[in-house]
Amino acid sequence: MDMGIGLWCLQSTATNPRSFGQAYQELVEDARMAEDNGIHSLWLSEHHAYYDGYCPALMPAAAAALAATESIQIGTGVLLLPLHEPHRVANAANLLNEQSSGRFHLGVGMGYRPIEFEIKQRDMSQRLKLMNAGLDALHSTTQTPTWVGISSEKAAERAGRRGLGLFISGAFSKDVVNTLIRAHRTAWEKSDPNQDTPPPVGLLRNLWIVDSPAERRQALNWVRSSYLVYAGLGWGADNTGVDFVSQIETSMDEVEKSATVGSAEEIAAELDGYDVDLVVCRIGYDQPPRTALTEVIERIGRELAPLVKDSGVKL
Amino acid sequence: MRLLLDLRNVSELAEREQLAREADEHGIWGVVVTGPRGGECVEASAIATATHHVTIVVDVDGNDVHPTTLAEEISVLDQITKRRTMIIFRGPSRSKTSLAALLGGLPVEGVILSPPPAQASIPVYSPEDIPETNLPEDLTQLAAIVDEYRDSQAAFLIVSWERSIKQLARHAVGRAASTDFPQMVADMADQIDPIDQ
Repeated sequence: MDMGIGLWCLQSTATNPRSFGQAYQELVEDARMAEDNGIHSLWLSEHHAYYDGYCPALMPAAAAALAATESIQIGTGVLLLPLHEPHRVANAANLLNEQSSGRFHLGVGMGYRPIEFEIKQRDMSQRLKLMNAGLDALHSTTQTPTWVGISSEKAAERAGRRGLGLFISGAFSKDVVNTLIRAHRTAWEKSDPNQDTPPPVGLLRNLWIVDSPAERRQALNWVRSSYLVYAGLGWGADNTGVDFVSQIETSMDEVEKSATVGSAEEIAAELDGYDVDLVVCRIGYDQPPRTALTEVIERIGRELAPLVKDSGVKL
Repeated sequence: MRLLLDLRNVSELAEREQLAREADEHGIWGVVVTGPRGGECVEASAIATATHHVTIVVDVDGNDVHPTTLAEEISVLDQITKRRTMIIFRGPSRSKTSLAALLGGLPVEGVILSPPPAQASIPVYSPEDIPETNLPEDLTQLAAIVDEYRDSQAAFLIVSWERSIKQLARHAVGRAASTDFPQMVADMADQIDPIDQ
């Protein structure tokens, strides 16, 4: 399996305020650093109208990272397709691939925050319809590798039927992940039995390489604090089924439990059980100091990636 | 008057980047770029990454896109360019009004851009606001044309130019900026420091 890193959200959060200019400058520096350390890909993430400037326009950001590098792949993990005009997305994706010799990956998802649909005058109750119409439009207008962010078997099946890659959320157990992958693969096989190569599967994991119990605790604290960002995003969303305020500690405990933190060898052994083509190591937290981020990027590329090179898809 | 080098009809990205770097190096005020509908800011971002100083003037198609979506793309671009973004907008006037307000840091129907533009306000023009011309190789004719636009009080002039960017900078940038441009200095410089075409 390949090792990528994510999610670069380009925020200035209440937990770690910074200038946006610095955030975008560091995106370019981080992409170069990841490339220098042999990392497969760097993934960006999108939200709209959030106080911390969470990146609302991934294509220009991807363009900057691609223009500054030569071999690393850059992906959107994920672009919220129902909030965009699909033909514009396809045109931008095609241009990115043309300019980067095919190094751009388009990950798309549906979105879940009512305010994001409101500001674009879209009906959130129609988001599945908008998503499907968007995927239809992309199918006819771009050859860009396309991945679909999913969190249910039905969504995995829909992606499989279309022959699209999967981008699986980071907090699921191994059993759930492999169930989603099987649903995706089965739907793909039924839809077109004559194809040889199944669409790829990517898995997002909260992950950090450490050498001591103290470093482990520190990394887990960063993982916990990163959940605050998502709790904040969910605060105004009334359809997630999660009470982000009263359940904050419980949710943080669950996120901590799902994190993969250890030595490179321990992490490699853990990842060996996942039938995926790509693991996107979620290290783009807002709490770690820059030196820690730099170190973990180097270690993922130089220590972990060689250990998991032959792991992955066995289905 | 400030000169904007037109890169919209240069077909290869590598050539556009090279010309933008030369414009950056020799003090051309801006370069004009565009892309397929929805790809304009992608192109601008790639050019911005190749340069440090030159203003990136983006010719965008504002038809069939929500103005907030376009404003978000441009705002992110302005963070990437580090305050070097300027817009030529083609589309409905109502959309242009919304776009200009959002890019000026103002709320529109309750929406305010996040992140905000890096500049206090990103300039938004219509195509008819900025004249365009092909500059001739003949430097006397070039001088007359630049003088004419400058004296007509144009703030910007988009120029197409197929010779050395340094020569354009030497002969046209100062002339565009000032009515007392000393042509003799540019002519002497051509003798002391000839420019390869």
